Amino acid sequence: MLLLLGLMLLTAAADPPGADGPPLRGPGLGFSPPDAASPSAPPPLLLRPQPGAEYAAPGVASARSAAEEPGRGGEEEEEGGEHHHHHGGGYRVVQWEWSYVQTPYIIATWLLVASVAKILFHFSQRFTTVVPESCMLILLGLVLGGIVLIANKKQLYQLEPALFFLFLLPTIVGDAGYFMPARLFFDNLGAILTYAVVGTLWNAFCTGFCLYAAKLLGVIDDRVQADLMDFLLFGALISAVDPVAVLAVFEEVHVNDTLFIIVFGESLVNDAVTVVLYKVYISFVEVGAENVQTADYFKGVASFLIVSIGGTLVGLVFAVILGFITRFTKKVRIIEPLFVFLLVYLAYLTAELFSLSAILSMTFCGIGANKYVEANISQKSRTTVKYTMKTLASIAETIIFIFLGISAVDKSKWAWDTGLVSCTLVFIFVFRAAGVIGQTWVLNRFRLVPLDKLDQVVMSYGGLRGAVAFALVVLLDGEQVKAKDYFVATTIVVIFFTVMFQGLTIKPLVNWLKVPRSTNRKPTINEEIHERAFDHILTAVEDIAGLQGYHHWRDKWEQFDKNYLSKLLLRKSVYRKSELWEAYQKINIRDAISVIDQGGNVLTSARLSLPSMASRASFPEVTNVTNYLRENGSGVCLDLQVIDNVPGAKVEEDTETHHVLAENLYKPRRRYQSHYSRHFMPLGEKERQDREVFQRNMKSRMETFKTTRHKRHKKERSLKKRRGSDTKDDGGDKPRRNVSWQDKDPVVVPVESEEDKAEHSDQEKDEDVGITFVARKVETPKPRPTSVPADVDGYQSPTAAHHSPVGGDSHLPWKGGLGSPPPCVSVEATKIIPVDLQQAWNQSISSLESISSPPPPAEPVHPRVIALSRLGGPRPASYSPSSSQEEAEEEEEEGGAASQEMQPLMSSLRPPGSLPPPPPPPPGSAPGSGRRRNPCVYLKSLVTAPPAGGSELHSRGPTQL
Amino acid sequence: MGALQSLHGRPEYLDLAEKTGFSFEQIRVLHERFKQLSHNEETLRRSHFNEIPDLACNPIRAQIIEAFFDRRNYHQNGEGTVEEIGFEEFLVVMSHFRPPSLHMTEEQRENVRREKLRFVFNMHDTDNDGTITLEEYRHVVEELLSRSGALEKETAKSIADAAMLEVASISMGHMEPDEFYEGITFEHFLKLLDGFEIESRMNIRFLNMDTSTLCK
Repeated sequence: MLLLLGLMLLTAAADPPGADGPPLRGPGLGFSPPDAASPSAPPPLLLRPQPGAEYAAPGVASARSAAEEPGRGGEEEEEGGEHHHHHGGGYRVVQWEWSYVQTPYIIATWLLVASVAKILFHFSQRFTTVVPESCMLILLGLVLGGIVLIANKKQLYQLEPALFFLFLLPTIVGDAGYFMPARLFFDNLGAILTYAVVGTLWNAFCTGFCLYAAKLLGVIDDRVQADLMDFLLFGALISAVDPVAVLAVFEEVHVNDTLFIIVFGESLVNDAVTVVLYKVYISFVEVGAENVQTADYFKGVASFLIVSIGGTLVGLVFAVILGFITRFTKKVRIIEPLFVFLLVYLAYLTAELFSLSAILSMTFCGIGANKYVEANISQKSRTTVKYTMKTLASIAETIIFIFLGISAVDKSKWAWDTGLVSCTLVFIFVFRAAGVIGQTWVLNRFRLVPLDKLDQVVMSYGGLRGAVAFALVVLLDGEQVKAKDYFVATTIVVIFFTVMFQGLTIKPLVNWLKVPRSTNRKPTINEEIHERAFDHILTAVEDIAGLQGYHHWRDKWEQFDKNYLSKLLLRKSVYRKSELWEAYQKINIRDAISVIDQGGNVLTSARLSLPSMASRASFPEVTNVTNYLRENGSGVCLDLQVIDNVPGAKVEEDTETHHVLAENLYKPRRRYQSHYSRHFMPLGEKERQDREVFQRNMKSRMETFKTTRHKRHKKERSLKKRRGSDTKDDGGDKPRRNVSWQDKDPVVVPVESEEDKAEHSDQEKDEDVGITFVARKVETPKPRPTSVPADVDGYQSPTAAHHSPVGGDSHLPWKGGLGSPPPCVSVEATKIIPVDLQQAWNQSISSLESISSPPPPAEPVHPRVIALSRLGGPRPASYSPSSSQEEAEEEEEEGGAASQEMQPLMSSLRPPGSLPPPPPPPPGSAPGSGRRRNPCVYLKSLVTAPPAGGSELHSRGPTQL
Repeated sequence: MGALQSLHGRPEYLDLAEKTGFSFEQIRVLHERFKQLSHNEETLRRSHFNEIPDLACNPIRAQIIEAFFDRRNYHQNGEGTVEEIGFEEFLVVMSHFRPPSLHMTEEQRENVRREKLRFVFNMHDTDNDGTITLEEYRHVVEELLSRSGALEKETAKSIADAAMLEVASISMGHMEPDEFYEGITFEHFLKLLDGFEIESRMNIRFLNMDTSTLCK
């Protein structure tokens, strides 16, 4: 894609200042490619003699030829600073190779200027909130253009239609299409189509006819040699709302989603109308209005249908191809994003090739493929795609606006007529408003959510014209359309007026009218759940009422998608996940990330400060993150637990301190293979640290969650435990801490994707496999990584679980290959990714469920629990010395016992008072019993007695990841 | 036939129209549908609903059907469920999905909102005790996911649990150490879906024409 960008910019800078290349062509047009450059460039226009054709064809060729000339002399050595240019023979140490690098050099300089300009605009926060960026860019363009004009007496740079249509526009449309909120788009499809088709036609015809009328009335000067056809043509190209301008302005305004999608969707979809109208009129202008036959009008209509539907189909076909390809990119993650760019761009080019609506094609390719691609590609690729698209779109937008400004300076190409300009301005504004009001009136009879007056005002006012119109008008043939220069001037004025004046004032207007804004709030889980629930409810009610409404068909489509399309286009591993699950997963990840964002700080700072507080009598036992979260009310905050501050012994504090240090200091645990690979990205140090922070956070959250959920058995456990281990638990010299074995031992608990059964042998090397909650004791003499394989077997079959943790290291697929096993965990297993998080969740929760309910035969958790508790291996001495085997058994009994007691509670209990009174807490003499946390919030069914001392130790052990 | 029927049915419709806000035309269409569903009987039973082919793959079919037989949805402060419903009940339940009029005061909007949310709440609150308990909520989520296969059972549970925790954190704010979260009360439910424009979401466009002929 970068290459493409480079290519496109080659063309931009085709006429460098001071280049001794071919002389500038007549009207200063850089070039237009000999083949159909744009949908709107009908062949006749392109037949215009191109003096610079050889120059034009591929920008690269010119660069190459330029390269050969100086290169002929001898070896080239480029050295930035000084340059000696020895003519004549001999070896030249340093050469001035301007002509070789000029094109890319200029491109790069342009990009730099544009980017720096953006930086500068955003220096002043207050300024940018008032003035939209697009205005600033146009102004900058005007200034730059002025400078170039003064310096060169000639305008060297122009917004080239070919450059625009082939490179700049697709980057913006691709970004818009790919990230288009599909649901919103289709929910409002009716309105969008109406505005795009009917509205644009209305605007085009009315503007055309009225301008002609104005001409007849003498308002427009006689110098403007144009007849009805010319005006209709002009009306067609000036009437379409421009996606680039709309995006640029509306992105800053943040109107509500529906309003935005209608205006923006319209600007994308009306491309088909514009293209067809433009082409039809061009051909009419060519043959002359009097020769147009009735059949031609019908051809025009047919052509509209073909262009729009054909463009859409091309886009959908490419969407399917794209989805299908990304199904198989598991092994080539590094080029995964490339497929997205290439195919989306190819969708555009292919539509151009057949002179269909390229914007429609690209938009629908993006909309269609997004769902499948996002599900298929890895998290990193997703990020890459997102950022690359945004970067390209942003830079393309910048260039477009700057070039618009620059083009406006060049007086040689336009001719001013006040009548034409003012009439056009008035007409497009009036007809836009009239069209919107009329159509909305009709639409509101059908819409469930009517568009109110405010919406209509914003829609009328948001009818911005932009670079598409400019490129189209520049493409006009001056021979055929006599008034071209007038039209160019008018278009420029219209664009400037709409983008600058309306763009500048729309924000105050929206504020003043109090148009509902979009809230940037992400939906909560409950909202997501109800979102789905409503879809189904509405579908069901429609079905019951016997109506075949929107929901009915949407549901049909979803079933089709689920049964056929998703099967075809999604990887097996993601196919079976429902949307709700995905939403949940996203929320979870988002939440986890926000925990890191906010909590990361707290974690490190607060915890690291602990040593200094060691002398304090009360000592927060667990992490502060949970507290922090609680206070912040973070969405899925799982902290339902209050931390009791209980005085602890000095010994305990020391251990705590020690533990805190051990946990929080990042140690160079292993040398990561630092080899360079083009195909795999090594994990950065930073990333690993982030990961650890993440893991720790998640771990603590999980603990919290579980302890909360399972208070119920804690007390039992504790009783049991007390009984069982009292003898061994001699004295409090080694405090029993809930910093239990898993904190000391390297334990890897991978979590697999259940459905990956088929694929588990070829584990996705990438991060899609398992999340691992790792904790280790750095001081362990010989850190021994113990892992449960991240596959189904380890999870579902008890036997596998039994042997794999300890003995099975060698046969783990990814274990053998690793030269130096990391002390902590293998790289592959520890990446964090939504899937894993999700699964970790599931597992943590399901493992709890298994305890709280009679373990069904298929219950997969117990085995693993056992396995886990076994692989505890070298436990810290502080841990209660019940053997792992015993413990596992105990675990099971307890689970059973607990579940028996759980049952009645689950079903019947309502008021907390009705609970069976909790058994008295164990004797306070038990070591560590004072340092317990108190549960604070319970889900009803999990209501439990106040926890008893020592309980976590046990309850957390097996269930904790 | 149609004319005869509508003549015959008018007085009855008048009453219904007042009660439910449907237009005569809409009532007529729905009556047609009612008769189609009930095989020209006076009442509808659950089995009739189960016969609707399009409904077969709806994951929360059971809940929705149940909502039609739930006395709480009849605007009469009733409780419990009934075995069969007449056209009036059918229509009253349907009227929960009627789009509100375009011009509402803020108060009316709030009322519509409450009414619609109450319907959904009742749907979740199967035992009619005023709270959606975790069990009930889990059930909802499980049903929602049931279309996605058996795999989702565990997931559903975890999602419901997480959602419930979220409710607790949203609605209770700071809880004291020994507080319990009972379940979602209606007030919490309102709060929970605050950002959810239900008054514009939970609507169906009831047509004036009869599309039931299109249905098999």
